Amino acid sequence: MHKQYSNKWQILVFLLPALILFCGILIAPIGASLYYSFFDWNGIGAKTFIGLSNYKELFHSNAIGFMKALRNSLLLAALSVFLQLPLALAFALTLGKRIKGERFFLSVFFMPVLISTVVIGQLWLKIYNPDYGILNVFLRSIGLDNLAQIWLGNKKTALGAVFVPTLWQYVGYHMLLLYAGVKSVPYELREAAMLDGASDAQINRYIVLPYIKPIIRISVIFAVTGSLKSFDLIYVLTNGGPLHSTEVPSTLMISMLFLRNRFGMGSTIAVLLILLCFGFALLINAIFKEEN
Amino acid sequence: MKKILALVLTLSMIFALAICGTGTASAADDQTVLTMWCIATESDANRPAYEKAIAAFEEAHPDIKIEWEAFENESYKTKIKAAMNAGTDLPDIFFTWSGAFLGDFVDAGRVYCVNDAYKPFADQLPEVMLSNSTYGGDHYAIPLTYNIVTLFANMDLLGEVGWDHVPETYEDLTACCDALVEKGIVPFGCAGKETWCVTEYLEPIIQKTIGYEALNDIFSGNGTWNDPAIATAVDTLQEMISKGYFDPNGMALGNDEVKANFIAGKTAFYQNGSWNCGEVNDGVANAAVGLFPVMDAEKATYGQVIGGPSDSLAVTASSPNAELAAQAAFELGKEICHYGYLAGSGLPAWTPDYDTSEVKPLVADVANIVAASDGMTLFGDTAMSADPANTYLDYVALVYGSEINGTDFVEGLTNDLG
Repeated sequence: MHKQYSNKWQILVFLLPALILFCGILIAPIGASLYYSFFDWNGIGAKTFIGLSNYKELFHSNAIGFMKALRNSLLLAALSVFLQLPLALAFALTLGKRIKGERFFLSVFFMPVLISTVVIGQLWLKIYNPDYGILNVFLRSIGLDNLAQIWLGNKKTALGAVFVPTLWQYVGYHMLLLYAGVKSVPYELREAAMLDGASDAQINRYIVLPYIKPIIRISVIFAVTGSLKSFDLIYVLTNGGPLHSTEVPSTLMISMLFLRNRFGMGSTIAVLLILLCFGFALLINAIFKEEN
Repeated sequence: MKKILALVLTLSMIFALAICGTGTASAADDQTVLTMWCIATESDANRPAYEKAIAAFEEAHPDIKIEWEAFENESYKTKIKAAMNAGTDLPDIFFTWSGAFLGDFVDAGRVYCVNDAYKPFADQLPEVMLSNSTYGGDHYAIPLTYNIVTLFANMDLLGEVGWDHVPETYEDLTACCDALVEKGIVPFGCAGKETWCVTEYLEPIIQKTIGYEALNDIFSGNGTWNDPAIATAVDTLQEMISKGYFDPNGMALGNDEVKANFIAGKTAFYQNGSWNCGEVNDGVANAAVGLFPVMDAEKATYGQVIGGPSDSLAVTASSPNAELAAQAAFELGKEICHYGYLAGSGLPAWTPDYDTSEVKPLVADVANIVAASDGMTLFGDTAMSADPANTYLDYVALVYGSEINGTDFVEGLTNDLG
């Protein structure tokens, strides 16, 4: 075995297929996006080198609205971290206590993750329908007619209406990650704490949470980067509308690439998205490291 | 047991892959295969027309096999642009919209010129029908059916407020809408979720205010948006919205939902493309068609319409059988037009040489409107290239959302597009 480990060529040969795939599928497109971001290009004709002009325009142009899209994404990220994750953690801690029907609730909460996002989008489109949607029907049936809204058509309510299913869909995902962590806490530790008279809250606070901190860190990274990359559900529900009120960087990128034929600008947004995701992942890692 | 299960699963996967590899009937050795991409998916109104046209073509040309694939409208735009961008794996024949959409591909040298292939068909296809796909004097696409913006009316609902015809003046239209609103009937539905649907209302109003030639100039980049009459036209639409002529829920709805509301009798009017004629004809018991009325009689006439030939077939320059594909595209285009016209999914760009007595009444009515037309402006988002078209659509969305008024619309577009 030791002889095999010392043979560098052998290691390289075995790593090569995965390395080629990794470079071809991940690194090369990032490099290509970075290259195209320096050009004015409609995707078909000749490219014109314009240096950093796309980056300058992206941050200064109100017509493109990148800053607003970024703000929406960061708001979604904040809601994910401060609303979605605590909810997922609460579910994980509750289910991790070996309660009755643990498997059943686990499956129910995880179900939205398994359903296609397009199906979820269609489902929520029906819920929000101003005519027959269950939300407005419910509000009217309890006499709150004035609260009934054109949820996805009003720019004041559309962003919130889009965030609700986005957050709802992945509560189960984070719950499952955290649940696995909670279940990995040795039962002897819990038992010892209980014998010492610790309450459930104290056990969670002083034993479970410190134990699953690495998983919480992973969940936070996934929640933040997932929010920055969010696309599919928003595309189905509003496609960034009405009046760009639910625009996020990904929908803006698609609009630039395939509606406006601005491949240079679309690539610029792609590069910034990658940088933002990396940046936030490093930042979150640093914050957790500091706490340790 | 596990080994048997693994074997069964492996075999079933191989079988599934084998099936995937033979999606369409394979061509015989002596057949030339022409590949085609289009948007006639199973749910598309034009699907039967494509199926019949391809079957008829293959029967007439047993030595040619058409292998065709259909994609959903929006995803097709992405696919064809990406393929044109790469310049590889392109089909021989592809569906396209004329105007700037095709113009980008022509500029990049990706499209085969069909001047020679057109000659044998010149007496059946008027050259004017190729005008939107002619660049630098050369023809690059074969039109199928064409369409105009049509004002559909539910005459039963109009009858409830004492109207027995589609209003033809703006005064009549507002009087009719006022009466409908008073009776609790929503006059118009418009899908705010799809901004092109808003242009189906705004463009006819602008055209009937400034005239079709001025609007053509603006869309082609030879005119300016800086015209106070355009601001007046925009304010007219907003006045109609503020008077409650439009379903407020429309802001959150897509076109299919708005159309369904009209067919279900929830709105009295629906202004959209004439490709809806077949569905409206079959779905609304007592329907009629008309055009948006004239706003300024000195500059426009009732017969001026928004629309024109756009849906087309084109041939890729990289096709190894480009000449043959061009001939095939003309023959297919003619038959798709034929069957599409009879089905009510558009008006004939080709001169009909078949029995048209079975054409649906609404389609025939729209054809009569076009026959009497004295001016046409191609849809703005087709006539303009992608980037300015989307800037324009953004402003249209702001108008429908009442975020800006006519003056803001004119000032904004003048600054951004000239």
